[in-house]
Amino acid sequence: MIWDSLREMFAMIELELRRLKHDRTEMYTRAVQPILWLAVYGTVMGNVRAIPTDGIPYLDYITPGVLLQSTIFVSVFYGLTIVWERETGILKKLLVAPASRYATVIGRSIASGVRAVVQAFIIIPVAMLLGVRFVLNPLYFFTAFLILFFVSGGFAAISIFVASVMKTRERFMGIGQALIMPLFFVSNALYPIKLMPQILQYFAVFNPLTYAIDAVRGLVITGDLTNLALDIAAIAIFDIIMFTVASISFRKIIE
Amino acid sequence: MMLAIEVKQLVKIYAGKVKALNGVDFTVKAGDIFALLGPNGSGKTTLMRILTTQLKPTSGEAHIFEFDVVKNDSQVRKNISYVPQETSVWTDISGFENLLIYAKIYGIPSKNRKDIIWDALDSMGLDAIANNLVKTYSGGMIRRLEIACAMIIKPKLMFLDEPTIGLDPSARKIVWEKLTSFRKEYGTTIFFNTHYMDEADHYSDEIAIMDKGKMVKFGTASELKHSIRREVIQFNLRNHGVDEIVLKIIRNMDFVSEVAIHNSELNVVVEDAETALPDIMEILRTKGITVDKISTARPTLDDAFLKYAGTMNLPNSIRSETTRRKDSL
Repeated sequence: MIWDSLREMFAMIELELRRLKHDRTEMYTRAVQPILWLAVYGTVMGNVRAIPTDGIPYLDYITPGVLLQSTIFVSVFYGLTIVWERETGILKKLLVAPASRYATVIGRSIASGVRAVVQAFIIIPVAMLLGVRFVLNPLYFFTAFLILFFVSGGFAAISIFVASVMKTRERFMGIGQALIMPLFFVSNALYPIKLMPQILQYFAVFNPLTYAIDAVRGLVITGDLTNLALDIAAIAIFDIIMFTVASISFRKIIE
Repeated sequence: MMLAIEVKQLVKIYAGKVKALNGVDFTVKAGDIFALLGPNGSGKTTLMRILTTQLKPTSGEAHIFEFDVVKNDSQVRKNISYVPQETSVWTDISGFENLLIYAKIYGIPSKNRKDIIWDALDSMGLDAIANNLVKTYSGGMIRRLEIACAMIIKPKLMFLDEPTIGLDPSARKIVWEKLTSFRKEYGTTIFFNTHYMDEADHYSDEIAIMDKGKMVKFGTASELKHSIRREVIQFNLRNHGVDEIVLKIIRNMDFVSEVAIHNSELNVVVEDAETALPDIMEILRTKGITVDKISTARPTLDDAFLKYAGTMNLPNSIRSETTRRKDSL
Protein backbone atom coordinates (compact mmCIF):
# COMPACT_ATOMS: atom_id res chain seq x y z
CA MET A 1 0.00 0.00 0.00
CA ILE A 2 2.75 2.45 0.95
CA TRP A 3 4.80 1.53 -2.09
CA ASP A 4 1.73 1.83 -4.29
CA SER A 5 1.14 5.28 -2.86
CA LEU A 6 4.74 6.48 -3.22
CA ARG A 7 4.80 5.20 -6.79
CA GLU A 8 1.67 7.15 -7.59
CA MET A 9 3.13 10.32 -6.08
CA PHE A 10 6.28 10.03 -8.19
CA ALA A 11 4.21 9.28 -11.28
CA MET A 12 2.21 12.46 -10.61
CA ILE A 13 5.42 14.48 -10.42
CA GLU A 14 6.62 12.95 -13.68
CA LEU A 15 3.27 13.75 -15.26
CA GLU A 16 3.71 17.44 -14.41
CA LEU A 17 7.21 17.51 -15.86
CA ARG A 18 5.98 15.90 -19.06
CA ARG A 19 3.11 18.36 -19.32
CA LEU A 20 5.54 21.23 -18.89
CA LYS A 21 7.78 19.78 -21.56
CA HIS A 22 4.93 19.86 -24.08
CA ASP A 23 3.58 23.30 -23.24
CA ARG A 24 5.60 26.01 -21.55
CA THR A 25 3.33 28.94 -22.41
CA GLU A 26 1.68 29.00 -19.01
CA MET A 27 5.07 28.99 -17.34
CA TYR A 28 6.12 32.14 -19.18
CA THR A 29 2.86 34.03 -18.86
CA ARG A 30 2.76 33.31 -15.15
CA ALA A 31 6.21 34.84 -14.83
CA VAL A 32 5.00 38.25 -16.03
CA GLN A 33 3.34 39.30 -12.79
CA PRO A 34 6.24 38.54 -10.43
CA ILE A 35 8.65 40.18 -12.83
CA LEU A 36 6.50 43.34 -12.72
CA TRP A 37 6.54 43.26 -8.92
CA LEU A 38 10.32 43.15 -8.97
CA ALA A 39 11.14 45.34 -11.96
CA VAL A 40 8.52 48.06 -11.43
CA TYR A 41 7.21 48.05 -7.88
CA GLY A 42 10.46 46.87 -6.31
CA THR A 43 12.67 49.32 -8.17
CA VAL A 44 10.40 52.32 -7.54
CA MET A 45 9.84 51.58 -3.85
CA GLY A 46 13.52 50.85 -3.49
CA ASN A 47 14.28 54.40 -4.64
CA VAL A 48 11.88 55.85 -2.08
CA ARG A 49 13.70 54.10 0.78
CA ALA A 50 10.60 54.47 2.97
CA ILE A 51 10.47 50.95 4.35
CA PRO A 52 12.98 49.85 7.00
CA THR A 53 14.51 46.58 5.86
CA ASP A 54 17.48 46.21 8.22
CA GLY A 55 19.95 47.44 5.68
CA ILE A 56 18.97 45.03 2.91
CA PRO A 57 18.26 46.71 -0.45
CA TYR A 58 14.46 46.82 -0.90
CA LEU A 59 14.50 44.79 -4.10
CA ASP A 60 16.47 42.05 -2.34
CA TYR A 61 14.03 42.24 0.57
CA ILE A 62 10.93 41.59 -1.50
CA THR A 63 12.41 38.93 -3.82
CA PRO A 64 11.58 35.95 -1.53
CA GLY A 65 8.02 37.23 -1.09
CA VAL A 66 7.50 37.69 -4.81
CA LEU A 67 8.98 34.26 -5.41
CA LEU A 68 6.58 32.65 -2.96
CA GLN A 69 3.61 34.65 -4.16
CA SER A 70 4.14 33.44 -7.68
CA THR A 71 4.64 29.83 -6.62
CA ILE A 72 1.52 29.76 -4.47
CA PHE A 73 -0.40 31.33 -7.34
CA VAL A 74 0.56 28.28 -9.35
CA SER A 75 -0.38 25.87 -6.63
CA VAL A 76 -3.66 27.49 -5.64
CA PHE A 77 -4.85 27.30 -9.23
CA TYR A 78 -3.81 23.72 -9.17
CA GLY A 79 -7.03 22.88 -7.34
CA LEU A 80 -8.61 23.94 -10.57
CA THR A 81 -6.88 21.06 -12.30
CA ILE A 82 -8.48 18.71 -9.82
CA VAL A 83 -11.91 20.21 -10.48
CA TRP A 84 -11.23 19.85 -14.17
CA GLU A 85 -10.13 16.27 -13.76
CA ARG A 86 -13.27 15.62 -11.80
CA GLU A 87 -15.33 16.80 -14.74
CA THR A 88 -13.40 14.42 -16.97
CA GLY A 89 -12.93 10.83 -15.89
CA ILE A 90 -9.28 11.06 -14.85
CA LEU A 91 -9.94 11.39 -11.15
CA LYS A 92 -12.28 8.41 -11.20
CA LYS A 93 -9.65 6.32 -12.90
CA LEU A 94 -6.96 7.38 -10.43
CA LEU A 95 -9.25 6.36 -7.58
CA VAL A 96 -9.37 2.84 -8.99
CA ALA A 97 -5.56 2.58 -9.06
CA PRO A 98 -3.96 0.48 -6.30
CA ALA A 99 -2.66 3.49 -4.37
CA SER A 100 -4.60 4.94 -1.47
CA ARG A 101 -6.86 7.81 -2.42
CA TYR A 102 -4.84 10.01 -0.10
CA ALA A 103 -1.85 9.34 -2.30
CA THR A 104 -3.85 10.82 -5.14
CA VAL A 105 -4.50 13.98 -3.14
CA ILE A 106 -1.01 14.35 -1.75
CA GLY A 107 0.59 13.31 -5.05
CA ARG A 108 -1.40 15.91 -6.94
CA SER A 109 -0.56 18.56 -4.35
CA ILE A 110 3.13 17.79 -4.37
CA ALA A 111 3.20 17.71 -8.16
CA SER A 112 2.14 21.36 -8.06
CA GLY A 113 5.41 21.97 -6.25
CA VAL A 114 7.15 20.93 -9.47
CA ARG A 115 5.53 23.78 -11.34
CA ALA A 116 6.26 26.15 -8.49
CA VAL A 117 9.95 25.30 -8.48
CA VAL A 118 10.18 25.66 -12.25
CA GLN A 119 8.57 29.08 -11.81
CA ALA A 120 11.34 30.04 -9.41
CA PHE A 121 13.94 29.10 -11.98
CA ILE A 122 12.63 31.90 -14.19
CA ILE A 123 12.25 34.53 -11.49
CA ILE A 124 15.65 34.10 -9.85
CA PRO A 125 17.69 34.92 -12.99
CA VAL A 126 15.48 37.96 -13.61
CA ALA A 127 16.07 39.12 -10.04
CA MET A 128 19.82 38.67 -10.56
CA LEU A 129 19.67 40.82 -13.67
CA LEU A 130 17.91 43.50 -11.65
CA GLY A 131 20.83 43.45 -9.23
CA VAL A 132 19.54 41.28 -6.39
CA ARG A 133 22.48 39.70 -4.56
CA PHE A 134 21.82 36.12 -3.46
CA VAL A 135 23.79 34.13 -0.90
CA LEU A 136 25.62 31.81 -3.25
CA ASN A 137 25.52 28.66 -1.16
CA PRO A 138 24.22 25.60 -3.03
CA LEU A 139 23.02 23.94 0.16
CA TYR A 140 21.05 27.05 1.16
CA PHE A 141 19.52 27.24 -2.31
CA PHE A 142 18.59 23.59 -2.23
CA THR A 143 16.89 24.03 1.15
CA ALA A 144 15.06 27.12 -0.14
CA PHE A 145 13.77 25.12 -3.10
CA LEU A 146 12.62 22.34 -0.81
CA ILE A 147 10.72 24.92 1.24
CA LEU A 148 9.12 26.36 -1.93
CA PHE A 149 8.19 22.85 -2.95
CA PHE A 150 6.52 21.93 0.32
CA VAL A 151 4.82 25.28 0.84
CA SER A 152 3.25 25.07 -2.59
CA GLY A 153 2.18 21.51 -1.79
CA GLY A 154 0.35 22.86 1.24
CA PHE A 155 -1.31 25.60 -0.77
CA ALA A 156 -2.31 23.12 -3.45
CA ALA A 157 -3.95 21.14 -0.66
CA ILE A 158 -5.89 24.28 0.39
CA SER A 159 -7.03 24.63 -3.18
CA ILE A 160 -8.15 21.00 -3.29
CA PHE A 161 -10.17 21.72 -0.16
CA VAL A 162 -11.69 24.84 -1.76
CA ALA A 163 -12.29 22.89 -4.97
CA SER A 164 -14.20 20.25 -3.03
CA VAL A 165 -16.51 22.95 -1.70
CA MET A 166 -16.85 24.88 -4.96
CA LYS A 167 -17.12 21.97 -7.37
CA THR A 168 -17.33 24.22 -10.45
CA ARG A 169 -14.48 26.01 -12.14
CA GLU A 170 -16.23 29.36 -12.42
CA ARG A 171 -16.80 29.67 -8.69
CA PHE A 172 -13.28 28.57 -8.02
CA MET A 173 -11.64 31.30 -10.10
CA GLY A 174 -12.87 34.10 -7.83
CA ILE A 175 -11.85 32.33 -4.65
CA GLY A 176 -8.31 31.79 -5.93
CA GLN A 177 -7.69 35.53 -6.20
CA ALA A 178 -9.48 36.30 -2.96
CA LEU A 179 -7.26 33.83 -1.15
CA ILE A 180 -3.82 34.76 -2.42
CA MET A 181 -3.72 38.54 -2.36
CA PRO A 182 -4.76 38.95 1.32
CA LEU A 183 -2.21 36.33 2.33
CA PHE A 184 0.44 38.17 0.35
CA PHE A 185 -0.33 41.58 1.83
CA VAL A 186 -0.76 40.32 5.38
CA SER A 187 2.71 38.80 5.44
CA ASN A 188 6.28 39.98 5.59
CA ALA A 189 6.57 39.84 1.80
CA LEU A 190 6.68 43.58 1.08
CA TYR A 191 7.32 45.12 4.53
CA PRO A 192 8.25 43.97 8.03
CA ILE A 193 5.27 42.80 10.07
CA LYS A 194 5.95 45.35 12.81
CA LEU A 195 4.88 48.14 10.43
CA MET A 196 1.35 46.70 10.26
CA PRO A 197 -1.58 47.73 12.47
CA GLN A 198 -1.76 45.53 15.56
CA ILE A 199 -4.79 43.55 14.36
CA LEU A 200 -3.13 42.62 11.07
CA GLN A 201 0.00 41.58 12.93
CA TYR A 202 -2.05 38.86 14.65
CA PHE A 203 -3.17 37.60 11.27
CA ALA A 204 0.36 37.68 9.94
CA VAL A 205 1.51 35.42 12.76
CA PHE A 206 -0.93 32.75 11.60
CA ASN A 207 -0.09 33.24 7.94
CA PRO A 208 2.03 30.34 6.70
CA LEU A 209 3.44 32.60 4.02
CA THR A 210 5.15 34.69 6.71
CA TYR A 211 7.22 31.70 7.84
CA ALA A 212 7.98 30.55 4.32
CA ILE A 213 9.16 34.01 3.29
CA ASP A 214 11.24 34.37 6.44
CA ALA A 215 12.92 31.03 5.78
CA VAL A 216 13.64 31.70 2.11
CA ARG A 217 14.83 35.23 2.88
CA GLY A 218 17.21 33.90 5.50
CA LEU A 219 18.54 31.23 3.17
CA VAL A 220 19.05 33.07 -0.09
CA ILE A 221 19.25 36.81 0.81
CA THR A 222 20.55 37.48 4.32
CA GLY A 223 22.17 34.16 5.17
CA ASP A 224 20.67 34.56 8.66
CA LEU A 225 19.34 31.15 9.73
CA THR A 226 18.35 31.91 13.33
CA ASN A 227 14.63 31.43 12.69
CA LEU A 228 14.98 28.58 10.21
CA ALA A 229 14.03 25.74 12.57
CA LEU A 230 10.92 27.60 13.75
CA ASP A 231 9.97 28.44 10.16
CA ILE A 232 10.34 24.84 9.00
CA ALA A 233 8.32 23.61 11.96
CA ALA A 234 5.54 26.08 11.11
CA ILE A 235 5.55 24.99 7.46
CA ALA A 236 5.49 21.32 8.46
CA ILE A 237 2.48 21.88 10.73
CA PHE A 238 0.76 23.84 7.96
CA ASP A 239 1.40 21.05 5.43
CA ILE A 240 0.21 18.29 7.72
CA ILE A 241 -3.00 20.15 8.57
CA MET A 242 -3.67 21.02 4.94
CA PHE A 243 -2.95 17.54 3.58
CA THR A 244 -5.29 16.09 6.20
CA VAL A 245 -8.06 18.58 5.50
CA ALA A 246 -7.67 18.09 1.75
CA SER A 247 -7.69 14.31 2.05
CA ILE A 248 -10.87 14.38 4.12
CA SER A 249 -12.65 16.90 1.94
CA PHE A 250 -11.56 14.99 -1.14
CA ARG A 251 -14.43 12.60 -0.51
CA LYS A 252 -16.77 15.43 -1.40
CA ILE A 253 -15.12 15.81 -4.79
CA ILE A 254 -15.64 12.15 -5.53
CA GLU A 255 -19.34 11.92 -4.71
CA MET B 1 -17.48 -22.08 -10.90
CA MET B 2 -15.38 -19.08 -9.90
CA LEU B 3 -17.33 -15.89 -9.41
CA ALA B 4 -15.84 -12.60 -10.56
CA ILE B 5 -18.53 -10.50 -8.92
CA GLU B 6 -20.91 -11.37 -6.11
CA VAL B 7 -23.32 -8.75 -4.86
CA LYS B 8 -25.79 -9.13 -2.01
CA GLN B 9 -28.53 -6.69 -1.02
CA LEU B 10 -26.51 -3.66 -2.06
CA VAL B 11 -28.05 -0.31 -1.10
CA LYS B 12 -26.69 3.15 -1.78
CA ILE B 13 -28.42 6.27 -0.52
CA TYR B 14 -26.88 9.61 -1.49
CA ALA B 15 -26.96 12.43 1.07
CA GLY B 16 -29.52 10.53 3.12
CA LYS B 17 -32.21 11.03 0.51
CA VAL B 18 -31.67 9.78 -3.02
CA LYS B 19 -31.91 6.00 -3.16
CA ALA B 20 -29.67 5.08 -6.09
CA LEU B 21 -29.45 1.36 -5.32
CA ASN B 22 -32.30 -0.39 -3.59
CA GLY B 23 -31.16 -3.91 -2.75
CA VAL B 24 -29.17 -5.22 -5.71
CA ASP B 25 -28.34 -8.94 -5.92
CA PHE B 26 -26.42 -10.64 -8.69
CA THR B 27 -23.34 -12.62 -9.65
CA VAL B 28 -20.99 -12.61 -12.62
CA LYS B 29 -19.05 -15.73 -13.60
CA ALA B 30 -15.30 -15.36 -14.13
CA GLY B 31 -14.42 -15.02 -17.80
CA ASP B 32 -17.84 -13.79 -18.87
CA ILE B 33 -18.72 -10.63 -20.71
CA PHE B 34 -21.55 -9.19 -18.65
CA ALA B 35 -23.76 -6.37 -19.92
CA LEU B 36 -25.72 -4.15 -17.59
CA LEU B 37 -28.67 -2.38 -19.17
CA GLY B 38 -30.99 0.16 -17.65
CA PRO B 39 -32.54 3.54 -18.27
CA ASN B 40 -30.73 6.73 -17.28
CA GLY B 41 -30.73 7.14 -13.53
CA SER B 42 -31.43 3.48 -12.86
CA GLY B 43 -28.26 3.16 -10.78
CA LYS B 44 -25.87 1.54 -13.26
CA THR B 45 -23.04 4.01 -12.78
CA THR B 46 -23.47 4.05 -8.99
CA LEU B 47 -23.26 0.27 -8.98
CA MET B 48 -20.10 0.35 -11.05
CA ARG B 49 -18.53 3.00 -8.85
CA ILE B 50 -19.21 0.89 -5.75
CA LEU B 51 -17.80 -2.24 -7.38
CA THR B 52 -14.67 -0.30 -8.35
CA THR B 53 -14.27 0.91 -4.70
CA GLN B 54 -14.80 4.58 -5.54
CA LEU B 55 -17.91 4.83 -3.39
CA LYS B 56 -18.91 2.97 -0.25
CA PRO B 57 -22.30 1.27 -0.19
CA THR B 58 -24.81 2.36 2.46
CA SER B 59 -25.51 -1.30 3.23
CA GLY B 60 -25.13 -4.73 1.70
CA GLU B 61 -22.06 -6.52 0.41
CA ALA B 62 -20.09 -6.80 -2.78
CA HIS B 63 -17.16 -9.08 -3.53
CA ILE B 64 -14.76 -9.02 -6.44
CA PHE B 65 -12.95 -12.34 -6.76
CA GLU B 66 -13.91 -12.93 -3.12
CA PHE B 67 -12.41 -9.64 -1.92
CA ASP B 68 -14.83 -7.34 -0.15
CA VAL B 69 -15.02 -3.96 -1.92
CA VAL B 70 -15.04 -2.08 1.38
CA LYS B 71 -12.76 -4.14 3.66
CA ASN B 72 -10.26 -5.32 1.03
CA ASP B 73 -10.55 -2.39 -1.35
CA SER B 74 -6.85 -2.25 -2.14
CA GLN B 75 -6.85 -5.95 -3.09
CA VAL B 76 -9.88 -5.33 -5.29
CA ARG B 77 -8.14 -2.44 -7.04
CA LYS B 78 -5.12 -4.62 -7.83
CA ASN B 79 -7.33 -6.99 -9.82
CA ILE B 80 -9.48 -4.59 -11.77
CA SER B 81 -9.24 -1.81 -14.24
CA TYR B 82 -11.88 0.71 -15.06
CA VAL B 83 -12.74 2.92 -18.01
CA PRO B 84 -15.13 5.69 -16.97
CA GLN B 85 -17.72 7.15 -19.27
CA GLU B 86 -15.95 10.51 -19.52
CA THR B 87 -12.53 11.03 -21.09
CA SER B 88 -9.96 9.68 -18.68
CA VAL B 89 -6.61 10.36 -20.34
CA TRP B 90 -4.47 13.48 -20.14
CA THR B 91 -4.83 15.28 -23.43
CA ASP B 92 -1.76 17.51 -23.08
CA ILE B 93 0.72 14.64 -23.22
CA SER B 94 1.17 11.88 -25.82
CA GLY B 95 -0.63 8.56 -25.94
CA PHE B 96 2.57 6.72 -25.07
CA GLU B 97 3.17 8.99 -22.08
CA ASN B 98 -0.33 8.34 -20.79
CA LEU B 99 0.35 4.63 -20.76
CA LEU B 100 3.77 5.22 -19.22
CA ILE B 101 2.29 7.20 -16.32
CA TYR B 102 -0.36 4.55 -15.70
CA ALA B 103 2.23 1.78 -15.96
CA LYS B 104 4.24 3.55 -13.27
CA ILE B 105 1.19 4.11 -11.07
CA TYR B 106 0.46 0.38 -11.30
CA GLY B 107 4.07 -0.55 -10.66
CA ILE B 108 4.73 -2.49 -13.85
CA PRO B 109 8.44 -3.40 -13.60
CA SER B 110 10.65 -1.14 -15.67
CA LYS B 111 12.35 -3.99 -17.53
CA ASN B 112 9.24 -5.01 -19.46
CA ARG B 113 7.28 -1.77 -19.14
CA LYS B 114 8.03 -0.54 -22.63
CA ASP B 115 7.21 -3.89 -24.27
CA ILE B 116 3.86 -4.07 -22.48
CA ILE B 117 3.00 -0.50 -23.47
CA TRP B 118 3.91 -1.02 -27.12
CA ASP B 119 1.98 -4.31 -27.17
CA ALA B 120 -1.12 -2.52 -25.91
CA LEU B 121 -0.66 0.35 -28.38
CA ASP B 122 -0.12 -2.13 -31.17
CA SER B 123 -3.18 -4.23 -30.38
CA MET B 124 -5.32 -1.11 -30.17
CA GLY B 125 -3.98 0.11 -33.51
CA LEU B 126 -2.43 3.23 -31.98
CA ASP B 127 1.26 2.51 -32.59
CA ALA B 128 1.56 4.98 -35.47
CA ILE B 129 0.24 7.93 -33.45
CA ALA B 130 1.60 6.93 -30.05
CA ASN B 131 3.88 9.94 -29.82
CA ASN B 132 1.31 12.52 -30.86
CA LEU B 133 -0.44 14.61 -28.24
CA VAL B 134 -3.76 13.06 -27.25
CA LYS B 135 -5.60 16.32 -28.02
CA THR B 136 -5.01 15.58 -31.71
CA TYR B 137 -6.79 12.19 -31.45
CA SER B 138 -10.34 11.44 -32.61
CA GLY B 139 -12.98 10.23 -30.16
CA GLY B 140 -12.49 6.64 -31.25
CA MET B 141 -8.71 6.83 -30.80
CA ILE B 142 -9.11 8.29 -27.31
CA ARG B 143 -11.46 5.45 -26.36
CA ARG B 144 -8.99 2.89 -27.68
CA LEU B 145 -6.19 4.58 -25.73
CA GLU B 146 -8.31 4.37 -22.59
CA ILE B 147 -8.90 0.70 -23.16
CA ALA B 148 -5.17 0.26 -23.77
CA CYS B 149 -4.60 1.91 -20.35
CA ALA B 150 -6.98 -0.62 -18.85
CA MET B 151 -5.22 -3.50 -20.62
CA ILE B 152 -1.61 -2.88 -19.62
CA ILE B 153 -2.14 -4.22 -16.13
CA LYS B 154 -3.74 -7.41 -17.47
CA PRO B 155 -6.67 -7.13 -15.06
CA LYS B 156 -8.77 -10.12 -14.05
CA LEU B 157 -11.84 -7.94 -14.34
CA MET B 158 -12.43 -4.91 -16.50
CA PHE B 159 -15.19 -2.38 -15.85
CA LEU B 160 -16.33 -0.32 -18.82
CA ASP B 161 -18.86 2.46 -18.30
CA GLU B 162 -20.57 2.96 -21.66
CA PRO B 163 -17.42 2.04 -23.57
CA THR B 164 -18.61 3.11 -27.00
CA ILE B 165 -20.73 6.15 -26.23
CA GLY B 166 -20.36 8.80 -28.93
CA LEU B 167 -18.42 6.59 -31.34
CA ASP B 168 -19.36 5.97 -34.94
CA PRO B 169 -20.43 2.42 -35.90
CA SER B 170 -17.06 1.40 -37.33
CA ALA B 171 -15.18 2.71 -34.30
CA ARG B 172 -17.61 0.83 -32.05
CA LYS B 173 -16.98 -2.34 -33.97
CA ILE B 174 -13.20 -1.97 -33.72
CA VAL B 175 -13.39 -1.36 -29.96
CA TRP B 176 -15.45 -4.51 -29.47
CA GLU B 177 -13.23 -6.63 -31.66
CA LYS B 178 -10.22 -5.57 -29.59
CA LEU B 179 -12.06 -6.25 -26.34
CA THR B 180 -13.22 -9.71 -27.35
CA SER B 181 -9.79 -10.71 -28.57
CA PHE B 182 -8.27 -9.41 -25.33
CA ARG B 183 -10.76 -11.49 -23.36
CA LYS B 184 -9.90 -14.52 -25.46
CA GLU B 185 -6.20 -14.08 -24.84
CA TYR B 186 -6.25 -13.36 -21.10
CA GLY B 187 -9.59 -14.71 -19.91
CA THR B 188 -10.48 -11.31 -18.50
CA THR B 189 -14.00 -10.85 -17.18
CA ILE B 190 -15.65 -7.80 -18.73
CA PHE B 191 -18.48 -5.93 -17.03
CA PHE B 192 -20.01 -3.09 -19.02
CA ASN B 193 -22.91 -0.64 -19.02
CA THR B 194 -24.49 0.36 -22.25
CA HIS B 195 -27.46 1.93 -23.95
CA TYR B 196 -26.67 0.16 -27.22
CA MET B 197 -28.82 -2.97 -27.18
CA ASP B 198 -27.05 -4.42 -30.20
CA GLU B 199 -23.75 -4.48 -28.31
CA ALA B 200 -25.30 -6.34 -25.42
CA ASP B 201 -26.94 -8.67 -27.93
CA HIS B 202 -23.76 -9.42 -29.90
CA TYR B 203 -20.97 -9.39 -27.41
CA SER B 204 -22.28 -10.36 -23.98
CA ASP B 205 -22.60 -13.78 -22.41
CA GLU B 206 -25.10 -12.55 -19.89
CA ILE B 207 -27.29 -9.50 -19.52
CA ALA B 208 -28.87 -7.87 -16.50
CA ILE B 209 -31.54 -5.23 -16.73
CA MET B 210 -31.70 -2.68 -13.98
CA ASP B 211 -34.47 -0.25 -13.14
CA LYS B 212 -34.98 2.16 -10.24
CA GLY B 213 -32.02 0.80 -8.31
CA LYS B 214 -32.97 -2.85 -8.61
CA MET B 215 -32.11 -5.74 -10.89
CA VAL B 216 -35.28 -6.65 -12.72
CA LYS B 217 -34.17 -9.38 -15.14
CA PHE B 218 -31.21 -11.62 -15.93
CA GLY B 219 -30.44 -13.92 -18.82
CA THR B 220 -28.60 -14.38 -22.07
CA ALA B 221 -29.67 -12.21 -24.97
CA SER B 222 -31.75 -14.99 -26.49
CA GLU B 223 -33.34 -15.93 -23.17
CA LEU B 224 -34.41 -12.35 -22.65
CA LYS B 225 -35.86 -12.11 -26.11
CA HIS B 226 -37.73 -15.40 -25.72
CA SER B 227 -38.96 -14.51 -22.26
CA ILE B 228 -41.20 -11.88 -23.76
CA ARG B 229 -43.38 -14.42 -25.57
CA ARG B 230 -45.09 -11.70 -27.37
CA GLU B 231 -45.05 -9.93 -30.65
CA VAL B 232 -45.75 -6.33 -31.44
CA ILE B 233 -48.15 -5.24 -34.13
CA GLN B 234 -47.60 -1.71 -35.22
CA PHE B 235 -50.38 0.21 -36.94
CA ASN B 236 -49.57 3.49 -38.63
CA LEU B 237 -52.82 5.40 -38.47
CA ARG B 238 -53.82 8.01 -41.00
CA ASN B 239 -55.32 10.37 -38.46
CA HIS B 240 -53.57 11.37 -35.29
CA GLY B 241 -54.59 9.35 -32.29
CA VAL B 242 -57.33 7.00 -31.28
CA ASP B 243 -59.89 7.78 -28.64
CA GLU B 244 -59.73 6.12 -25.24
CA ILE B 245 -62.83 3.98 -25.90
CA VAL B 246 -61.22 2.20 -28.84
CA LEU B 247 -58.04 1.66 -26.85
CA LYS B 248 -60.10 0.18 -24.08
CA ILE B 249 -61.88 -2.24 -26.42
CA ILE B 250 -58.57 -3.44 -27.84
CA ARG B 251 -57.04 -3.66 -24.42
CA ASN B 252 -59.89 -5.84 -23.18
CA MET B 253 -59.44 -8.47 -25.90
CA ASP B 254 -58.10 -11.51 -24.11
CA PHE B 255 -55.06 -12.11 -26.36
CA VAL B 256 -53.86 -8.50 -26.04
CA SER B 257 -51.37 -7.87 -23.30
CA GLU B 258 -50.39 -4.25 -23.88
CA VAL B 259 -51.52 -1.28 -25.94
CA ALA B 260 -49.60 1.91 -26.41
CA ILE B 261 -50.16 4.87 -28.67
CA HIS B 262 -47.55 7.37 -29.68
CA ASN B 263 -48.70 10.07 -32.14
CA SER B 264 -50.12 8.14 -35.08
CA GLU B 265 -48.36 4.92 -34.15
CA LEU B 266 -50.44 2.31 -32.35
CA ASN B 267 -48.54 -0.60 -30.84
CA VAL B 268 -50.42 -3.66 -29.72
CA VAL B 269 -48.61 -6.45 -27.96
CA VAL B 270 -50.04 -9.92 -28.47
CA GLU B 271 -48.85 -13.48 -28.12
CA ASP B 272 -49.38 -14.38 -31.74
CA ALA B 273 -49.67 -11.63 -34.31
CA GLU B 274 -51.08 -13.74 -37.15
CA THR B 275 -54.26 -14.76 -35.29
CA ALA B 276 -54.73 -11.47 -33.48
CA LEU B 277 -54.42 -9.20 -36.49
CA PRO B 278 -57.80 -9.86 -38.16
CA ASP B 279 -59.74 -9.17 -34.94
CA ILE B 280 -57.96 -5.93 -34.21
CA MET B 281 -58.36 -4.78 -37.81
CA GLU B 282 -62.07 -5.46 -37.52
CA ILE B 283 -62.37 -3.19 -34.49
CA LEU B 284 -60.40 -0.41 -36.11
CA ARG B 285 -62.49 -0.62 -39.26
CA THR B 286 -65.84 -0.51 -37.43
CA LYS B 287 -64.63 2.55 -35.53
CA GLY B 288 -63.75 4.23 -38.81
CA ILE B 289 -60.01 4.34 -38.26
CA THR B 290 -57.94 4.15 -41.42
CA VAL B 291 -54.71 2.20 -41.22
CA ASP B 292 -51.92 3.17 -43.61
CA LYS B 293 -49.44 0.48 -42.78
CA ILE B 294 -49.16 -2.57 -40.58
CA SER B 295 -45.96 -4.18 -39.48
CA THR B 296 -45.25 -6.90 -37.01
CA ALA B 297 -42.06 -7.34 -35.07
CA ARG B 298 -40.51 -10.30 -33.37
CA PRO B 299 -39.10 -9.40 -29.99
CA THR B 300 -35.69 -7.76 -29.90
CA LEU B 301 -33.54 -6.94 -26.95
CA ASP B 302 -35.01 -3.44 -27.13
CA ASP B 303 -38.42 -4.91 -26.44
CA ALA B 304 -37.08 -6.87 -23.52
CA PHE B 305 -35.47 -3.72 -22.22
CA LEU B 306 -38.66 -1.72 -22.61
CA LYS B 307 -40.70 -4.39 -20.93
CA TYR B 308 -38.50 -4.94 -17.91
CA ALA B 309 -37.15 -1.44 -17.46
CA GLY B 310 -40.63 -0.06 -17.93
CA THR B 311 -40.03 3.02 -20.01
CA MET B 312 -42.70 2.12 -22.56
CA ASN B 313 -45.39 4.74 -22.67
CA LEU B 314 -48.14 2.74 -21.03
CA PRO B 315 -51.08 3.84 -18.94
CA ASN B 316 -50.77 2.86 -15.27
CA SER B 317 -53.52 0.26 -15.37
CA ILE B 318 -51.68 -1.63 -18.10
CA ARG B 319 -48.45 -1.38 -16.21
CA SER B 320 -49.88 -3.06 -13.17
CA GLU B 321 -51.48 -5.68 -15.36
CA THR B 322 -48.16 -6.53 -17.00
CA THR B 323 -46.51 -6.69 -13.63
CA ARG B 324 -49.13 -9.17 -12.51
CA ARG B 325 -48.61 -11.18 -15.66
CA LYS B 326 -44.89 -11.21 -15.08
CA ASP B 327 -45.41 -12.43 -11.54
CA SER B 328 -47.64 -15.25 -12.64
CA LEU B 329 -45.08 -16.48 -15.18
